[in-house]
Amino acid sequence: MIEVKELTKRFYDVLAVDRISFEVGRDEVVGFLGPNGAGKSTTLKVLTCFMPATSGSAFVNNKDVFSHSLAVRRSVGYLPEQVPLYGDMRVTEYLQFRGRLKGLSGKELGRRMAEVMETCGLKSMATRIVGQLSKGYRQRVGLADALINNPPILLLDEPTGGLDPSQRKEVRHLVERLGDAHTVLLSSHILAEVESMCSRIIIIKKGRIVADGKVDDLVTRLKGGRRVHVEAGCPLEVLRRAYGTFEGGPRILSTFERQGLSSLTISAIDGPRRSALLKHLIEHQVPVEQLTAQSLSLEEIYMRLTLEQEVGDAGDHGEAHDLSTRSASPPILETAAEATPQTDHAGKIDTESDTDSEPAP
Amino acid sequence: MRRYLNTSLTLIWRELEGIFYSPLSYIVLTMFLLLNGYSFYVSLPSAQGNVSDTIRYFLGLAWMSWLGMIFIPPLITMRLVAEEKKSGTIEMLMTAPVTELQVIFAKYISSLAFYIFLWSPSLVYIIIIKRYGAIPDNGVIVASYLGIFLLGSTFISLGVLTSTLSGNQIVAAITALILNLMIFFIPLLSLVVQWEGMRRVLNELWILNHFKGSFTKGVIDSFHLVFYGSLTVFFLFLAVRSLEARKWR
Repeated sequence: MIEVKELTKRFYDVLAVDRISFEVGRDEVVGFLGPNGAGKSTTLKVLTCFMPATSGSAFVNNKDVFSHSLAVRRSVGYLPEQVPLYGDMRVTEYLQFRGRLKGLSGKELGRRMAEVMETCGLKSMATRIVGQLSKGYRQRVGLADALINNPPILLLDEPTGGLDPSQRKEVRHLVERLGDAHTVLLSSHILAEVESMCSRIIIIKKGRIVADGKVDDLVTRLKGGRRVHVEAGCPLEVLRRAYGTFEGGPRILSTFERQGLSSLTISAIDGPRRSALLKHLIEHQVPVEQLTAQSLSLEEIYMRLTLEQEVGDAGDHGEAHDLSTRSASPPILETAAEATPQTDHAGKIDTESDTDSEPAP
Repeated sequence: MRRYLNTSLTLIWRELEGIFYSPLSYIVLTMFLLLNGYSFYVSLPSAQGNVSDTIRYFLGLAWMSWLGMIFIPPLITMRLVAEEKKSGTIEMLMTAPVTELQVIFAKYISSLAFYIFLWSPSLVYIIIIKRYGAIPDNGVIVASYLGIFLLGSTFISLGVLTSTLSGNQIVAAITALILNLMIFFIPLLSLVVQWEGMRRVLNELWILNHFKGSFTKGVIDSFHLVFYGSLTVFFLFLAVRSLEARKWR
């Protein structure tokens, strides 16, 4: 349904998108993930024919976005990041206008309007002036607009941006429902959300694709995708010293300490070795609270991929710097608000999918 | 084709709504009516009882009618594209299945309609004159209104063009105004240019001459139709290109 080949977009001397290629199949829901300014919105703008690429090609619904712009635009529902709307119109007027622009008329228009207003929860706002709506409702109007002509392809630029947790949840469910009969490409920098909505994820960084695949595949592909996390109710130094005496233990990946609680993360070890480690720590008087085998959460994959890119990029203190400082502290991203994570007392978020915990005695 | 037409009508309707929802339109309307009324008031005595002269003054020779023709179009057109650019709605608009030509044409047509709407109350003055027994020459009235329409069409298309050039309404309005004044005053150079050929060309381009020598005399010159028509088309063409220009960056 969507096919992008070697797409490049340059704004004067800024390279926004750098030779990216990917495909999105029919009825697939794909998440476009990346930090701000990574090129997500630019790519979507090219796909909606708002701006052409500098080079490369893009096909939507088997039509070239450059030469068959109108046909492409008919088959695409687009929700821009800022959701610009005509503030002087009422919700119904606006949707009527958009529906007509997209070729609907008469009874069909009325039917579709009723449908999308129902789907997007806009019924109670039907006669309100768009300019007076809250951000959440504006977003819904934008979404209703994208859906009005029931296009086979949806391009959603940060569909949950600016929404409160319950609204986000609604939008997430909506996208999940839509995914059954629509091809969806959505961008976001909220990782847990993408994880829950999308079957596939494309991570983009500085205009380049750094990862493309199913979440599970991405975990396996990443070296050291699995690791072990130990938490104890003692100072970090004690935990570290005790671990140091554990024979053949893998190197420590990260440590964390707060208010008498400490934790360390090491590369993966198998089940019996984990038991051995637990026993070893207890023997050394470490009050272990938790020892968990973890696989990388999407967040961490994202951090890793976006950071790895930067290793060779000496002297670049842009977003990479921002990301690295964030990853040094516990990864409290926006997910914390509503991704139903289990936040433990150390303030760390456990977005675990496969966890086999061994309870401390 | 039918779909194309329907989309165009939808866009025109939306633009008209936009104009009539905008408070600025009512300010413009009020200003214009005051100007128009005062212009009529001044034209009456200055024609010294000659009804046809009153109408000629009122519809094209009085300086106040020129104010309406030069200053009003930029006020109508300034928000058209500039506002959409600033608020970002241009992105919504241009990602819908519509062409740049349709968008520009809708904006032009609806502004022109508003311009005609502005001038329409002036017919009342004509009716007043008729009621008091004077029979003005219909040819003069029709030709004068045609002149006002043609000039309005030109200046509105120019205003649409300048509105596409900037994301700021004020800049768009001032640019349009300056260009309008240039179109109006540059031919005045014919008074100082020595070279005969150039002087004649400038004389032909002098809008005030078109009104003096033709429209307000009830004469419709095909040259004038072509002149204003092609200027309008030219400015609209540039406006379409300018709207497309986001694709070249």
